[in-house]
Amino acid sequence: MTVSAIEFSRIGPPKLRAYAMKCEDCGTLHAWWEKFHCYSCNSNRLVEQELKGGGEITNYTVVYYPPRDFLGQEPYVVGHIKMDEGVVMPAPVVDVAMEDVEIGTRVKSTLRRMKLGHEGDVYYSQKFIVDDAPAPKKAPAKKKKSAKK
Amino acid sequence: MEMRVGVLGLGKTPHKIQHEKGLRDLIVEAGRGAMDDAGVSPEDVQALYIGNAASTGFNHENSVGLMSSHHLGLVPAASVRVEAACGTGAWALHLGCAAIMSGLYDTVMVMGAEKMNDLATVEGTSIIAQAADAKEEYFSGLTFPSGVALSARKYMEVYGLTEEDLAHVSVKNHHYGARNPYAHLRFECTVEDVMNSAPIADPLKLYEVCPMTDAASALVLCREDILRDQPDKPQVFVTATQMATGTWYAVSDTMKDAYDLLNKPATRAYEMAGLTPDDIDVAEIYNSFAIQEPFGIESLGFAEQGEGWKGAKDGSTWIDGKVAVNMSGGLLCKGHPLGATGATQAVDIVEQLRGTAPEEIQRADARNGISACRGGPGAVGALHIYQRLEG
Amino acid sequence: MASILRYGAYLPRPRISVKEIHSFFSKPGRPRSRTLATPGLDEDSLTMAFEAATEALGPKGASPSAVISVTQSSPFPMRKMSGTLISALGLDGAAAYDVTGHAGSLMDALALGSTIVDSGGGDVLVTASDYVVSHDEKVADILPAGGAVAFLLSAKGCCELGGSARVLDEIYDVWYLGREEEPRYRLEVLAAAYGAAAKGALGALEAQTGISSKDYKIVCASQPHPSVLRGLGRMVNKDALANTSFVGEIGNVGSASVGLAIALGLDGARKGQKLLALGYGAGEGIAQTLEVTSTTPTIGVADRLAGTEISMGTFYRWTRGRQVEPH
Repeated sequence: MTVSAIEFSRIGPPKLRAYAMKCEDCGTLHAWWEKFHCYSCNSNRLVEQELKGGGEITNYTVVYYPPRDFLGQEPYVVGHIKMDEGVVMPAPVVDVAMEDVEIGTRVKSTLRRMKLGHEGDVYYSQKFIVDDAPAPKKAPAKKKKSAKK
Repeated sequence: MEMRVGVLGLGKTPHKIQHEKGLRDLIVEAGRGAMDDAGVSPEDVQALYIGNAASTGFNHENSVGLMSSHHLGLVPAASVRVEAACGTGAWALHLGCAAIMSGLYDTVMVMGAEKMNDLATVEGTSIIAQAADAKEEYFSGLTFPSGVALSARKYMEVYGLTEEDLAHVSVKNHHYGARNPYAHLRFECTVEDVMNSAPIADPLKLYEVCPMTDAASALVLCREDILRDQPDKPQVFVTATQMATGTWYAVSDTMKDAYDLLNKPATRAYEMAGLTPDDIDVAEIYNSFAIQEPFGIESLGFAEQGEGWKGAKDGSTWIDGKVAVNMSGGLLCKGHPLGATGATQAVDIVEQLRGTAPEEIQRADARNGISACRGGPGAVGALHIYQRLEG
Repeated sequence: MASILRYGAYLPRPRISVKEIHSFFSKPGRPRSRTLATPGLDEDSLTMAFEAATEALGPKGASPSAVISVTQSSPFPMRKMSGTLISALGLDGAAAYDVTGHAGSLMDALALGSTIVDSGGGDVLVTASDYVVSHDEKVADILPAGGAVAFLLSAKGCCELGGSARVLDEIYDVWYLGREEEPRYRLEVLAAAYGAAAKGALGALEAQTGISSKDYKIVCASQPHPSVLRGLGRMVNKDALANTSFVGEIGNVGSASVGLAIALGLDGARKGQKLLALGYGAGEGIAQTLEVTSTTPTIGVADRLAGTEISMGTFYRWTRGRQVEPH
């Protein structure tokens, strides 16, 4: 794959799968770029954790003036996607009419070009499409056994 | 700690697209203006702190600090370029204040300068995006306007603010911007004009985002006694300077983060100056996007959270209101030349306290002023308090 | 014999009207396809293969031991599409094989995949995806479009891969004329070559299986151009092509073409029905018989032929320059 060195050093390898960074000390999930420091507990130990890809839109905007690599795709929706695992990711939501996007809409991740190859380099990342499947059931909270005196 | 850093002189260039002037032309214009106003010559300036956020990208120039001191005739004095995204100019001011307070220098110049218009908008937008982490912006297709638009929608969702309500912020800023000869955009507008302006990033529209502007501004600062010894000069001092960092990524920028970014340093600044929000007459609050003015008003204690937008509608943040906010027209009208903004806010407040602002934007008998600057997606908070203190 | 267990298909939603293409480029003659399925700026043969493969792997996510990818428009000159798909789909440990050559190569991939399955090598995921991009007024001749299909092959499935026959003739059906930037079909040569390859391959398959080509109720053929279907229609039962013809509707999807036809044929096919698949490319015809052994998943490919119309301006912006960069 032809990837530009500058992009690779700024953004790292192409994001072929959706993943988050998990703090080994407190378990908090962070967006994939938080490789170095956990702001929940100040730990420096973070590891990759793959995500299932499902989530819901908690906020969104519509971009009319895109950055260079998104030129030609405007207007497009960018959402804050709260993944089912808890972590929030910003990402484009594609193949959807602007009127059909709402806070609460369920989405799932898919593979799309990010850098489009205008300069001969292609870079892939995760974008989201509307998911008609129902949300996964949340596991019921376990009842704590009361200590018997 | 009592802080009294004297403001000896002010200089600024008009804010507009200036293809015929280079970055160095703007820097020299503002810097000489400040030194003339201060009545000092270049030899008197012991250090230069010049804020410039992105000349490597915008102008293909890098060593702004060294370039500026050369052209201003400041060699062999100390000189350095300061960078902190959109908070750059305020950081130059902070460093200049700290230099005076340390006793190492007695007279310094602080500046901010940016020339953004030699590139096309899309290129410029991408360079501005470099002030956030490319990982988030490039990955998500966000730009600064759309990142802030997300916080606008969140505010609307949480507090019930409507787009028409928010439009009043632009109406107020444009009212005063039209009366500020140094502003980039000098036209008034109505709520309807704002609502009908082109969408930039939903829900923000053209009149709710700042233009890309070329400008420079400068202040000559001095030790307290130097200003006191010139009683004919307006006795305006910087009496608090407090800086902070916040979240580097917009996606983790919650409403609380947005509030804390300015509220925490503001609280420390009020304490440092011995003032409360009620004592403030004029404020320059960073508003490159309209929604940031309500956020700032709340963080500075001028309104409860969720109510910061009301002042533009009910008059309490207009010139005769409880506190006059952004009499310069704010960044919405002045534009946001990245490195200059924080310094220009200081210049504009000091003009208010001196009583030398243009009549139609001059708050009557302003004694206490505050400037709030921010940078990055929510990464830099910068608070300064200024007071006219007769000897 | 290896079977198709599940299958997937992806067609991008945007559609450009070929009549608009003709009008924009002042091209004479009538439009030979109604629309062209046009991938968006952020799509390519890899992302489309990903979508089709995701559908073929199913909601529980199968774990094939190998992935065979067919494409003529790889974004990477020095990397396997199958390898990148394995990373993207989370199929770590699967063997990666890229098979290419011409638009009928999906038939080769199915044959090779069957061999792996039959030898006890585990399930095999086969994908075929292409985004054909043409220059300017050639669009009206080449009818370039984009799409992807995927088949999960297993020892037991819904449709068994039966006998196959192939015929290869050294024919040159695509030419660089003068200094033009891209090769083009000589339509009469294409039609003749397709006809000859079909006749040869269908004849050989008939001899092998004893089933007359005209007895198949479902025929799934490579569709580089609508004109080839007329000739083919005379060799098989013409109605058998009805539900699997799409080139006149959405254009030429390259190596995904015969796969898309198979997917259309599998949808709604009943147990016991036989399908005749024909892959074509550069003078080679590959005929394959398939037999439906149990109810097919029916993913509704026919519903995906319709899309959303885009303007000529949008089409031009999306395709301008894309002929030379990694597709």
